[in-house]
Amino acid sequence: MSWQNWIYTVPLRLRSLLRREEVERELDEEMRYHLERKTEECVAAGLTPAEARHAAMRAMDGIERQKEECRDMRKVNWLEDFLQDLRYAARMLRRNPGFAAVVVLTLALGIGANTAIFSVIDGILLRPLPYGDADRLVIVWENNLRRSYPQNVASPPNFLDWQTQNHVFSGMSCLSDLRGNLTGSGDPEQIVTQYVSANFFSILGVNPILGPGFTAENGEDGKDKVVVLSYGLWKRRFAGDPGIVGKTIELNGKILSVVGVMPEKFNFFIKQGTLTGEKPQLWSPWVLPAAYHQRKNSGRFMTVVARLQPRVTKAQAQTEMTAIATRLAQEYPDFDGHWGATVVGLREQISGELRPALLLLLGAVGFVLLIACANVSSLLLARAAGREREMGIRTAIGASRWRMARQLLTESVLLAMIGGGVGIALAVWGTNLLLAASPANLLALQRVPIDWRVLAFACGITLFAGLLFGFLPSYISSRSAIAETLKEGGRSASAGRQRRTVRSAFVVAQIGMALVLLAGSGLLMRSFALLLGVNPGFDAKNLLTFTVTLPSARYATDAAQLAFFRQLEERMAKIPGMRSASMESFPPMAGLGAATSVRILSQPARAASDLPVAAVRVVGRDYLRTMGIPLHAGREFDTRELAEMRHVALVNQAFVDRYFAGAVNPLGQKIVVYMKSDEESESQPSEIIGVIGDVRLVGLDAPVEPTVYWPHPELVYSRMTILARTSSDPMSIVSPARNELREMDPNEPMASVATVEELLSDSFSRSRFTMIVLGVFAGAALLLAAVGIYGVVAYTVAQRTNEIGIRVAMGAQRRDVLRLVLGQGSRLIFLGVGLGVAAGLLMTRLMTGLLYGISATDPLTFAGVALLLTAVALVACCVPARRAMRVDPLVALRYE
Amino acid sequence: MSRPSDLVQGTLDLLLLKILALEAMNGWSISQRLWQISGEVLQVSDGSLYPALHKLEQEGWISADWRPSENNRRAKFYSLTRLGRKQLEKEAANWDRLSGAITQIVRLKEA
Repeated sequence: MSWQNWIYTVPLRLRSLLRREEVERELDEEMRYHLERKTEECVAAGLTPAEARHAAMRAMDGIERQKEECRDMRKVNWLEDFLQDLRYAARMLRRNPGFAAVVVLTLALGIGANTAIFSVIDGILLRPLPYGDADRLVIVWENNLRRSYPQNVASPPNFLDWQTQNHVFSGMSCLSDLRGNLTGSGDPEQIVTQYVSANFFSILGVNPILGPGFTAENGEDGKDKVVVLSYGLWKRRFAGDPGIVGKTIELNGKILSVVGVMPEKFNFFIKQGTLTGEKPQLWSPWVLPAAYHQRKNSGRFMTVVARLQPRVTKAQAQTEMTAIATRLAQEYPDFDGHWGATVVGLREQISGELRPALLLLLGAVGFVLLIACANVSSLLLARAAGREREMGIRTAIGASRWRMARQLLTESVLLAMIGGGVGIALAVWGTNLLLAASPANLLALQRVPIDWRVLAFACGITLFAGLLFGFLPSYISSRSAIAETLKEGGRSASAGRQRRTVRSAFVVAQIGMALVLLAGSGLLMRSFALLLGVNPGFDAKNLLTFTVTLPSARYATDAAQLAFFRQLEERMAKIPGMRSASMESFPPMAGLGAATSVRILSQPARAASDLPVAAVRVVGRDYLRTMGIPLHAGREFDTRELAEMRHVALVNQAFVDRYFAGAVNPLGQKIVVYMKSDEESESQPSEIIGVIGDVRLVGLDAPVEPTVYWPHPELVYSRMTILARTSSDPMSIVSPARNELREMDPNEPMASVATVEELLSDSFSRSRFTMIVLGVFAGAALLLAAVGIYGVVAYTVAQRTNEIGIRVAMGAQRRDVLRLVLGQGSRLIFLGVGLGVAAGLLMTRLMTGLLYGISATDPLTFAGVALLLTAVALVACCVPARRAMRVDPLVALRYE
Repeated sequence: MSRPSDLVQGTLDLLLLKILALEAMNGWSISQRLWQISGEVLQVSDGSLYPALHKLEQEGWISADWRPSENNRRAKFYSLTRLGRKQLEKEAANWDRLSGAITQIVRLKEA
């Protein structure tokens, strides 16, 4: 229809709708005018007035029918009918407030939970990333599949060669992060700085909100004394000073001038590639020193982000990077042998870890909605039985089947809309609850705004739910035979039977779905329990950690740094309430550590790329006692070894088991640990002086790696994590420890203060979060399924009251009645549980990646949840069964 | 049925549009005019006239207003709109084509 037609027709339609009475009056008047003229004509032709009127009516050929056809021409009938149905439905609901409340609440829970989960997914997986044209951004990792490192941080020389040799990226930037001490203007504090290539912001396509940001020349040595602030740091530490650009700040004792402030939403954080594991608050240019250009002196420690050139696909980029990496591996077999390159889309990288858990929750919550719909559908079916007379009468006076089905569907959609409205409100509240329940940083969201995508989703599932649970009841009701329903008693046997079958099928499906959810959540719970039961290998109780970083400007030499930490250890050990104090190069449970190749001198020479690999941790005095790690053989470091470089090392049991195969005595063996330049490492092999117990320091779910422990002098770190074993609450020594530190250097902040028990608990947080949320859904499913089976059994009991009364009158015992009712219920339960177990065994496989130490088809879990579900469902059946047992035959028979 | 079954579908629309193109009329007068023009040939019952008129109105081809009729009583008068005039031209052209073609076929001599 063209727009010109609209000009004429839209006002007409609106008039038909909004001024219906006026339009109807006009129709009447028009017809009456015609009749009167016709009558006059007939009278003129000689008929009596009565005959004339009769003839005029006859000529109209059914005046009411013609009127109805005129109404049809208005083309708004469907809408009028709909509004009428809606009014009628609203009246019906008002008359059954209990029914309406149950349905609305059930739906609101289902829709609300779905919307809440979807809004989190929307925030994490769907919302555009805060970078320009973010779909073109990729992360480039090195990989070493022989050592099963699919995504490893890259080495500087490889990065430099990638940069010059590739034709697929319009730009590549490397980055790495370090903690630094920000001093001047206020208390000293440790913050994380991301050191980035000068083109970093332009590759990401984000401009600072203040200042020019980095220019190309900031990437040159000597011109790199500039810094860009994060929005948060600018607001917090510099009170949002609009004139901050051009001013200077002091970082690690160096003066840097501020050249920009980034927008509030900007951050770039790939936890996997970071050294600190924390979000950066500052950015500074990274000028790669000349030493990094040589493979001899380099390790792997940088994250690489790149922008694809226009019209280059990720697959093409991967092909080219693989070719370059293969070439490098041939050229430098010692350094790059077995190393390749992996290109990963940025979105995939960021959401990769959370995606499986979130999709699992979305699937689970979808099940909850289906179960809720089945319940509502079942309720509607039960109610439809009571409305058969009404339907029969409507059919008898000419309502078409489609018209009746439409009326019933309108009722369902109205229910769904109310449920959906309440559900969205619940979702707003629920997402806040989800975020509150989720550990800090886990969801990487501060708040989840309900945006148009979420609302569209909520409206979509509301409509879907309404049609879904409304379809079968209206279908069945609209086809029940008129004749039968209008007979006395008003109960049609066939429709009744059909309804019972459908409701039974619903119950079976509900129980099946509830079982799948219970199995999933049961698996997560058992897996979590196993994780909790993992022995970390050390004693986590009463152990405090904090981190101290010495700026190279004030502590330039290894000797100065060594001396500082030794003195700090001694001072710490003297604090009252302290049992012992030590230190370590990486905090426990932080998910990170250093690892390198190791050569065992007594074993035949191998190519560099085939050497064994070990984690390397640098520790202080009293380490074993402080951590509570057992010594299996040999001895600990002595005082001299803790004061100066004596080339000794401890190894863990896993190292011995893996690389000495138990055959040789490891004590006294010499190993080369490639943590320094190759010459240095090879000229100073370390002697193994002791073997200690295996410790899970990186994370409880991570496998134990072969590990080499060095005393601090062997490899001086400027950042160490202090470990303090206390006799009582570890937090009580925080303040004396801070005083000691302040006395040694007032500009030294105490960072990342935490007890190891807290760190352990944080490391469980993701598993715990998924487990709790899925557990809540499974609980809801269990409850809904129980309500479902209760409803069906209770309804049957009500329908069969007569029959039961007769049976009792004829001598049936209460036991027989119980068996009769429970028999019906338990058939449904067993069928549902059987189907649920079958479906569950297929579906829980999808969550293998989320489980720890347990198979996705764990028979014990399945048996357990099957029992639980059966028990709960049977209890739900017992309530109506007891009612049936109390049926008084006299009362029951009087009904007839 | 109430529809004028012996009228080719759409022909009634064409007739009504044509009648109203000459002057605005009320339903009664239209029925009289139809009868006058076609006599016994086109049988349109009084009743079925109105749904047809309402359809044309809802399509936007004719518009209605209330004015005093010949005998000074209020009646609903229909008149052609601009869209209706276009529609009339289109339908008339169609009719010419169709009737021409049918006439030709009917006049074919049997071989």
